[in-house]
Amino acid sequence: MAIVKAQSLTYTYPNAEKPALDDVSFEIQKGEFVILTGPSGCGKTSLCRCLNGLIPHFYQGELKGKILVNKYNIVDHPIHELAKHVGLVFQNPENQLFALSVEKDVAFGLENLGIPRKEMIERVDCALKTAGIEDLAERAPHELSGGQQQRVAIASIIAMNPEILVLDEPTSFLDPLGAKRIFKVIGKLNESMDMTVILVEHRLDLAAKYADHVIVMDKGKIALDGKPRKVLNSDETRMLGVGIPKATRLYQLLDEEKALHSRQVPVTADEMGKLVRGALRA
Amino acid sequence: MSVFDGLKFRRVSSPIHMLDPRIKFLYVCSIFVVAIVFFELLPLLVLFLFQIPFVILARVQREWVRSLRGAAFLASIIFGTNILFRFMYAGYSLTANDIEYASAMTMRFIALVESFSIFFLTTSPDHLGLALEKSHIPYEFCFAFTTAVRFVPVLAEEAQTIMDAQKARGLELEKGNFLKRIRNYIPVLIPLIISAIRRSLELAEAMEARAWGAIEKRTNLYSLKMKRNDYLLVLVSIFVLIIGIFVRFYVSIPTLSNLLGF
Repeated sequence: MAIVKAQSLTYTYPNAEKPALDDVSFEIQKGEFVILTGPSGCGKTSLCRCLNGLIPHFYQGELKGKILVNKYNIVDHPIHELAKHVGLVFQNPENQLFALSVEKDVAFGLENLGIPRKEMIERVDCALKTAGIEDLAERAPHELSGGQQQRVAIASIIAMNPEILVLDEPTSFLDPLGAKRIFKVIGKLNESMDMTVILVEHRLDLAAKYADHVIVMDKGKIALDGKPRKVLNSDETRMLGVGIPKATRLYQLLDEEKALHSRQVPVTADEMGKLVRGALRA
Repeated sequence: MSVFDGLKFRRVSSPIHMLDPRIKFLYVCSIFVVAIVFFELLPLLVLFLFQIPFVILARVQREWVRSLRGAAFLASIIFGTNILFRFMYAGYSLTANDIEYASAMTMRFIALVESFSIFFLTTSPDHLGLALEKSHIPYEFCFAFTTAVRFVPVLAEEAQTIMDAQKARGLELEKGNFLKRIRNYIPVLIPLIISAIRRSLELAEAMEARAWGAIEKRTNLYSLKMKRNDYLLVLVSIFVLIIGIFVRFYVSIPTLSNLLGF
């Protein structure tokens, strides 16, 4: 069942000459883990903004085509209504926390929705636990590291319990370990809570192993769309300047030398290790 | 900025921290009124000493001392100007009474700083925002208030970064006369303001993403409930107010110099 469905979606920001999204069509199935990638300025962030209605309600501009999110046409529903179904986590962790304590921040969305206090407390606790930050509940956001702040931002979205979780480069302000932890939390949400995840990411080395579906964008258009191993292994992806996993790149180099026997394209270091071991034994 | 350092909230659990911020504010107001009605050193000194148990109960002695130290500069200006005016007014002579008057004015200021610092040191800005909300102030204003408080350290850090960056490009902040020095800060202020505007846009987006404005009557994670200690503080505040006003009108207050026999 398609949970997100875009049909020749075209969007131009106010006062912009070129469209940020140009005839974009794709489908995302329920429960999928989608990685959306592509060079900077290719329209990934604009697409994220479409998913929860920031485009067109907050940014205005001109929207053509159609996008259905959870069967809602985003044009007909205000952002706060879409926010119940689509959680959006932004790039800069600092600028999405408003309150003076972590728990209050996680509760912010629930307060806006008018959830009764008793239920709110339960949902906040649960979200903190899922994000692995229950020990930070009473801390102030500015005392936390970037990674911890980003996990607070994710917890605050989890608390609202959306069907779709969209993350717009959540790790670009974080160190590799912080990024790894974020991916782990997201992976868990996708796996055990069956949340549909749409992750915009450049660090494919760490993220690729979670993906069921990869979409590559370029200049406002969809360049490639398909299964991770196929998309990541394609020459076009690499030529666009997408940082494909090192394991995949090594596979390509070894494949040119005809040194490999496996047809399974590796996306993680573990898989690559297995492949190399096999090659050495042969 | 050291005055404000002494007002920075730190999370401690103490009976004073647990009090309802509205009641604490009532207490500050009553201290304020009492401090304003007296011109004599003795009652103001009593007012100062009266508040010390609160500081100890709240376990914020260190911050409290720091806030007083921060206030020392202003206090000495108040003392100095009072002495100066008394000195000129009395025809270039000074009595013990004049010094006592100046001390009283200074003590009034210190007592006020003391009560404010107890309030701010023991009230989390979150609770303060909540108290504002419960006082029927529109939520938008309360939200603006808590968000402003939340971003103070962030902006301070950013200002430091910009200053460092501009210094690395050869900006000399401490050069020139007073006016020149103020002008030196323009290359720091402009990027700071621009980045603050950008930040506010991102914040607005994040608020939208969390269903800001979904319903008219939002709920709140925290609630304020009056407890036994709150009622106790109400009594104390009213008591202080009544005693203060009573003493003001019906008791003649001896000056300290008379008592000590100058």
